[in-house]
Amino acid sequence: MTATPARVILICSGKGGVGKTTLTANLGIALARLGETTVVLDADFGLRNLDLLLGLENRIVYNAQDVLEETCRLEQALVKHKQEPNLSLLPAGNARMLDWLTSDDMKKIVGMVAERANFVLIDCPAGIETGFRNAAAAAREAIVITTPEMAAVRDADRVIGLLNTQGVAPVQMVLNRVRPKMVANQEMLGVNDVTDILALPLLGLVLEDEQVITSTNRGEPLTLNGSLSPAGRAYMNVARRLRGEEVPLIDPSRERRGLRARLMGKIRRTTGLF
Amino acid sequence: MAAALSIASDPHQPHLLTLPPPQEASSLLQEVRQALSLGAIQGSLNLICGDWRLRLPDLEALQSLLTQQGLTLVQLQADHPETRVAAASLGLHLGPNTGELQHPPKAAPTIPALTVHQGTLRSGEHLQADGSLLVLGDVNPGAQISAVGHVLVWGRLRGVAHAGRLGDDQATIVALQMRPLQLRIAGAVARGPDEVPAAGLCEEARLENGEIRIDPASPRWPLQGMPTQGLNVGSSPSAQ
Repeated sequence: MTATPARVILICSGKGGVGKTTLTANLGIALARLGETTVVLDADFGLRNLDLLLGLENRIVYNAQDVLEETCRLEQALVKHKQEPNLSLLPAGNARMLDWLTSDDMKKIVGMVAERANFVLIDCPAGIETGFRNAAAAAREAIVITTPEMAAVRDADRVIGLLNTQGVAPVQMVLNRVRPKMVANQEMLGVNDVTDILALPLLGLVLEDEQVITSTNRGEPLTLNGSLSPAGRAYMNVARRLRGEEVPLIDPSRERRGLRARLMGKIRRTTGLF
Repeated sequence: MAAALSIASDPHQPHLLTLPPPQEASSLLQEVRQALSLGAIQGSLNLICGDWRLRLPDLEALQSLLTQQGLTLVQLQADHPETRVAAASLGLHLGPNTGELQHPPKAAPTIPALTVHQGTLRSGEHLQADGSLLVLGDVNPGAQISAVGHVLVWGRLRGVAHAGRLGDDQATIVALQMRPLQLRIAGAVARGPDEVPAAGLCEEARLENGEIRIDPASPRWPLQGMPTQGLNVGSSPSAQ
């Protein structure tokens, strides 16, 4: 049990496929590595795959449904991560839970989990129906994740409106899958275009990174590695900012130049020519 | 002089039909038919009879005519005692005598109240006002606002705005930054301009010859003369 009340954070987007579960998994690992006791809760009962991304699929014995039905204790249902003992996962029950789960059930379970953690991350289902509403009812703050696409931004805007009416605050934003080259050529919405519409504090900026796909397939979130890829660094920074650290945001245009400059620097150093 | 029909802007309010003085008029039914031929209206109706002397058969004939038109006679304002007796026997609600009644000003339509909404309207939210609407905040893409009167946005208008929802073609749409997806005034619809307007230029859309025009906003505040009492401040829109 911890002294300070846990921070219960909803991770949602409205639109599907923008990176809710990936963010939840990576943020969970990152917070755990920073020494925070963290529980990630899969609220996507219909299409659960947070366990998959964390590589814990084959370790699940009990789930949230069993806890609610009191067929097991909460400790039995929580799956501890194999490398990061600070992180545990409360798996979603089967899809039939959708039929009977109420927001009170959700509050009950989050309340139980919150007693034994510093951070509770709720992986929200896509959409704005009951699944989202139940999850939002149990959360205190939220991170809205979106990509620089009109459809994703529009849906995120809708979700922010709903979160405001439900009294969830603060709501922060993570912008995912930014492609600096396309932004520079004005083929993609820029960071300013998105913050302009959503008017939320930017908690993080994640560049498009192919390693996310391989890490997802392997069930090893990027933040697990010691040497971090660009996206992994970005997730780590999100975790730091969540804890109140001041970490400057990366500048996507500088990031691109930075790559070339780094390369030139390497050549300069190794050849000693210039 | 013919019977004057004033159509209620609020669908829950009855329409008003005022008969001309009996000495200047032909028959009751003719007058009413003539007045109703001007526009197809439905709902409830208040009849202001003045000095007309109407008996039970007259009123019954009138009622059946109105029923055919889809109207219900709910109230009668009459000075003639016989008319009042006939109306009462039909179970009609009797209004005060015309002498006591303050005539609604015919030239100036009833001044609508102003609804003020504070806060940003986000995608999917839909705000409707019965009078004019003032939004203190942005209207984001995907959000929709509409008002019976004017629409004023003290912020960026990037969604859909509809002024004069019930057909007032004098209604205007004013925004500090006009970047709408779509504008509607009364029955006219226009796509928003493609180019992004200069920042800090307040613009105004109005209906001219059936087309919506956007110009730099006139320094005249469109709500001039509007009573400030009955100001109704809402903070959460009816999200749909």
